[in-house]
Amino acid sequence: MPLSAELLPAGLLVILAATCLLDRQLPRACLIFIFFALLMALAWWQLDAPWLALAESLLGALLTGAALRLGLGRFASQRPLPARDLHVRPPPQTVVRYLAALVWLVLASIAVWGVAAGEALVTPGEVSRRSLLITGLAIMVLGLWGFAHHLHLLRRLLAFNVLGSGVFLLLAGLAGPVIEVQGLILVGLVVALAGSVLGALLLRRLFLLDGQVTLSDEG
Amino acid sequence: MSGGLLVLAALGTSLFAALLIFLLPERAFRARTGLNLGAALIKLSLVAWMVWGLSRGREYAVEFAVLEELAFVLRADALGIMFAGLSSLLWLFTTVYAIGYLEDSPNRKRFFGFFSLCVASTFGISLAGNLFTFLVFYELLTLSTYPLVVHRGTYRALAAGRVYLRYTLTAGLVLMIGMVALHALAGDIRFGQRELLAEFGPEDRLMLVGLFWVLIAGFGVKAAIVPLHGWLPRAMVAPAPVSALLHAVAVVKAGAFGIVRLVYDVYGIELSAKLGLLNGLVAVASATILYGSLRALAQQELKPRLAYSTVSQVSYIVLGVGLFGPLGTIAALSHLLHQGLMKITLFFCAGNYAEELGIHRIDELDGVGRRMPLTSLAFTVGALGMIGLPPVVGFLSKWYLGMGSIQAGMPWVIAVLVASSLLNAAYFLPLLDRLWFRPGPDHGVGEWPEERRLGRLETHAWLLVPTMATALFCLMAGALAGLPFSPLEWATRVTNVEYLP
Amino acid sequence: MIADGLPLLEATVLWSALLAPLPMGMLAWRFPPQRIATVLLIAMLLLPASLWLLHRVAVGGELQGAGSLGGLLLHWRMDALAGLLLLLTQLVLLASAAYAVCYQRVSALHQRAYARYWPLLGGLAAALGLIWVAADLLTLYAALELMGLCAVGMLLLLGEKSALMAGMRYLLYALVGSLAWLLGAALLLGASGRLDLAGLAANGAPEAVTGIAIALLAAGLLLKAAIFPLHGWLVPVHASAWAPVSALHGALVVKASFFILMQLWQRLVPEAVAAAWLLGGLGSLAVVWGGLQALRTNALKQVVAWSTVGQLGYLMLAFPLLTGTSAAVATLAWQATWLQLAGHALAKGAMFMAAGNLVLAAGKGGLSDLAGTSRRLPLSLMAFGLAAVSLMGLPPSAGFTAKWLLLTSAILAGQWPWVVVLGVGTLLTAAYVFRVFRFAFVEDEHRPEVRSLPAGVDLTALLLALAALGLGLGAEWPLALLREEGTP
Repeated sequence: MPLSAELLPAGLLVILAATCLLDRQLPRACLIFIFFALLMALAWWQLDAPWLALAESLLGALLTGAALRLGLGRFASQRPLPARDLHVRPPPQTVVRYLAALVWLVLASIAVWGVAAGEALVTPGEVSRRSLLITGLAIMVLGLWGFAHHLHLLRRLLAFNVLGSGVFLLLAGLAGPVIEVQGLILVGLVVALAGSVLGALLLRRLFLLDGQVTLSDEG
Repeated sequence: MSGGLLVLAALGTSLFAALLIFLLPERAFRARTGLNLGAALIKLSLVAWMVWGLSRGREYAVEFAVLEELAFVLRADALGIMFAGLSSLLWLFTTVYAIGYLEDSPNRKRFFGFFSLCVASTFGISLAGNLFTFLVFYELLTLSTYPLVVHRGTYRALAAGRVYLRYTLTAGLVLMIGMVALHALAGDIRFGQRELLAEFGPEDRLMLVGLFWVLIAGFGVKAAIVPLHGWLPRAMVAPAPVSALLHAVAVVKAGAFGIVRLVYDVYGIELSAKLGLLNGLVAVASATILYGSLRALAQQELKPRLAYSTVSQVSYIVLGVGLFGPLGTIAALSHLLHQGLMKITLFFCAGNYAEELGIHRIDELDGVGRRMPLTSLAFTVGALGMIGLPPVVGFLSKWYLGMGSIQAGMPWVIAVLVASSLLNAAYFLPLLDRLWFRPGPDHGVGEWPEERRLGRLETHAWLLVPTMATALFCLMAGALAGLPFSPLEWATRVTNVEYLP
Repeated sequence: MIADGLPLLEATVLWSALLAPLPMGMLAWRFPPQRIATVLLIAMLLLPASLWLLHRVAVGGELQGAGSLGGLLLHWRMDALAGLLLLLTQLVLLASAAYAVCYQRVSALHQRAYARYWPLLGGLAAALGLIWVAADLLTLYAALELMGLCAVGMLLLLGEKSALMAGMRYLLYALVGSLAWLLGAALLLGASGRLDLAGLAANGAPEAVTGIAIALLAAGLLLKAAIFPLHGWLVPVHASAWAPVSALHGALVVKASFFILMQLWQRLVPEAVAAAWLLGGLGSLAVVWGGLQALRTNALKQVVAWSTVGQLGYLMLAFPLLTGTSAAVATLAWQATWLQLAGHALAKGAMFMAAGNLVLAAGKGGLSDLAGTSRRLPLSLMAFGLAAVSLMGLPPSAGFTAKWLLLTSAILAGQWPWVVVLGVGTLLTAAYVFRVFRFAFVEDEHRPEVRSLPAGVDLTALLLALAALGLGLGAEWPLALLREEGTP
């Protein structure tokens, strides 16, 4: 596959992920996420994994998007969440999380480097795999940062989904789009969906009970 | 009945009784009384049967494997059945006494339930066939005595319970580590298999000595050896039957019994002498004897004074263990029983005084002899035994200890014995003086702290009869010591059969 | 889907026993059981099946097989350990179910929420069963996630704010943890091209990659197993959940992650001594920290929850005792760990149930509200006490026998730090347990109202506690089975 055709969707994925996580307007962020998921589905299609593409578009884009909007309260007639997230995390809390995220990142980078640089790659297709690895890593970094940094629960769910997608890309990059990888990613998609649904429901109930949209004392 | 079944039945009577007591409602007084007494009598008769069978050469044992190299063993040997006999007999008396003592108290169901579990634990300790089984019942004893100590639920009782647990649970932990290490070193040592440790050469000496002292520390807490005795005076806040139990029958004796088993049946007396462990035991015991008596002198209340007296007296057993030679052994083993009889008498009397007349302090004892003559007579018997005057049985123990110390080549121990007797006299004779020779409320001087007329006799019959019975046993064991099945005879037989080469 | 060379009967029985809870749960969602008899009936079906399977494994050796699902090959294996764990799981699940049936009569749970308990229980049961027998990373992943999601679902039944917050925190942590796990699996897959455990063990991947993969996998698993310092989510979850759910969660759910970690460790990095000692150190810190926090807290359920954090630390001691030590020591440590796990599962389940009873009857959850319970709730307190005996490691319980084995292996291996840790842990546990009793033994004058509880709730707690005690003296049978098959 020619390099430029690789870089374009990869770059777009990263940009979309970043925008989604940086946006304070929640409905808009969810919409951007749905586009992100659709683009991911396209990526799977190009990697010769049609079932995965279907699953991603269905589970990742459609249903997860629906779940997130459910969390926002755009469906029900009851009070929707405030559209803007105004929370800012006080500085002292962030250090530990950043540290944890950093450790993860370092480990993952070393591992990826080790696998990519050595002979450990099992299936051929170097270029495609390298760009997958780098994209996956970038998206993963964004997801980690978002998860550690954001306070609003919906944004954390978004960050988790982005993180998940990053990990899936890394997975495909490390082992190639073989059947085991597809199986793992499929299970991962289902889990992410279920998690998002549960999270959205929890968020709704918390909000309706108390107006709360964050975890007041973070652990 | 086959051997194993008899052992299980005897253990089971108390366990089953405990279960039934927990199931009965709180208000089922008569049923509970009947159950308690019935279980005590059944157990006593089963133990008597075993004693008779053992003297005829029968075997009573049961075991099963808990782990690959570790077995749970209950085996009736001469020493074990002697201890079991003591505890069953004294148990009967304590049951009767407790029924009378707690007549109007709340929480009797809880009390008697754990009481029965305590009996079962002590029986298990006496019949344990290896250190592992001993530990199992030793810890069960701690757990079942805790609710008894904190029975009253007051702040002081709960604090005393906390101290009790701190000491005994730490001791249990130390014991466990020591036993695991010994097991790792030498495998599963059954009581009596002294050859297993004797096989170790000089390079393991340090390890054996170290393990010995670790195990002694674990046993020593319950046996109230100085400086591990701190829980005992605090536990005096418990009701009198519990104190009687702790001091005479169950807890303190379990510790002392553990030391006896360790020296005679695990290490063996010869190995202990070779490793120089006996000298250490004698030193520790002497220190405890003197310290306990000195502290007893300083006490102003009756029960604490008796508590420190126990600290001192139980170490006679340890002293006897430390004296190499059959006389020392006879002294140790017989004093196990003698001290039990005397101490339980004294505590019953103290309980009677507290219940009937509200007496807790020593200066309140003036003239009690006139108001409660029978109890005071029993108290006198016990006190004289403690001092060591014949014909009360305490005299025999001291005599044998003295002879044993000469036989072991440690004549200075006699000085310790004499000093201790003098100290005992110093803190018991004034009590007797107050009882009999000082004028009190019955003579018209002062008033009893809190008089309750509990019965037609000087106090409630249930409180009086056990006191008299144990006092009588003290006298009998001393005067009739030559008869078979007296404590002294039995101890001599055990020594001859088991411990002479 | 059933694979080749395997006796058909065993496989059918196994998969029926593993998957049966799912339809049963669905059925119970529609018709929530109101009587214990239903639960007992199910017990009579499932337990003999597990016992029979265990017997087959003991006689004939390990059962294994693989099934293909759309091109993927999924492996499973049933050995003695899996069989014993399956039996344990079923016992605890059935006890929790019976407890739930009785408890809901007096607790403030809506019928709709109560009905939702059952399919979640069924999902949890199936997931746990799959974890014990799974032999490849994909099945493990799926089962682990199913278990986690069902657990979160169960936590939300009560619908109170504290439960919701705790559940949300748990959800977020669990999801991130599973992503770490996925990454680790990805590394292993990338480096060796296979997912099945036997294959991964055989075709060793390069050291560095395996090491990092294990680190990521372990991070995810330790998070789910609430090992210090990743334990932050556990205490709020257990303290605020519905009592039958806390019992189940503390008993089994956190243990499954430990099981997976052990399986992976034994196959992939059996010689990593430094990492093993690190895990042992974390376990020691868990023991001390959990004990200290349990001593400080003033609510009963929090005491029990912190106790779980502490007791899980004991399991971590298995790693340094199994890695790089002699065969004798490793055998002892292996037996000790699983006995400790089983004993703790039974005892912690019983303790949570008893605590639930006490809190329900006294009306409030604080320790000072326990005054006078020794007189008015003797049965609940007795169940609590018996469970505590096993946690403290006092005889004749499973905790005691496991502690004996652990001490023996530590002394034989010369690893004295763990002896100290075990001692400190015992004393701390005794301290906070008897602190609870001290409150319960206080004689209270003003006699607050105490609710009467149905007999079933106390009885279930008592039976589980007695099982923990019985396992102590009767440990030889399961341990003999473990010894015969050896460590993987």
